Amino acid sequence: MTAPSWKDNHALYLITIGLLAWLIPGAGHYALHEHRRATVMFVVIVLTFLVGLYVGSIGVIDPIGAKPWYAAQVMNSPAVLLMGSHVAHVQRRAESERTGFNTAKTLSYRVYGRPNEIGQIYTSIAGLLNLLCIVNAIYVAHLRATEQTGD
Amino acid sequence: MTALNEILLASFTTPMHIDTDPASMLWLLPLVASIAVVYKATKVHRIRPYPFFKESAVLFGSILVFIITAALILYGMTWIVTDRLPAILDKSAF
Repeated sequence: MTAPSWKDNHALYLITIGLLAWLIPGAGHYALHEHRRATVMFVVIVLTFLVGLYVGSIGVIDPIGAKPWYAAQVMNSPAVLLMGSHVAHVQRRAESERTGFNTAKTLSYRVYGRPNEIGQIYTSIAGLLNLLCIVNAIYVAHLRATEQTGD
Repeated sequence: MTALNEILLASFTTPMHIDTDPASMLWLLPLVASIAVVYKATKVHRIRPYPFFKESAVLFGSILVFIITAALILYGMTWIVTDRLPAILDKSAF
């Protein structure tokens, strides 16, 4: 009995590479032994995302009021989902306390104007760049797997 | 929690102050640089520092030239519609 070849596990292999690339920017390429490429991707994407967060604050990740931007931001990493749920929870609590005539100042991450625009654009572009890297990692993995099997 | 941690967290929970002026457009430069570097990282066969930097710089310049051209065309169209056209039609646009 022979061990299953790459061809047998092809879909699983591609999904694993894609998930790795989504989990940590550049990790898909790192798993493919493209260490230098992975480092460049990781540094640039994480830096772009952090600059966006620094400029606009965590409030630019808004799953309630800015769904299309959020969809692009989620491409950065699953960690954005956690940030989004935290921001949504804080916003909902702030809204309910405001409607309850509570004058006490509550924590809210609302951000307006140019910082909001720049923050959203930076974090969303970082997400779309990571999506490009995910697709590229899957493509490279596919090419290598098919070369190994001789297809 | 140490003071450093508090400062770090606070800087990510309060937005920066950025005016809505032409200078705020300069924020596009780091973003264009990011796009150029990541795009080239997916395209080049092997990453070697000098050729990679050169290719990224060329793409950065190309994107910038395209953005400036598009901005000039849009500015020209706006100028025609708001300044020249009313004068030709001899009435205000609004």
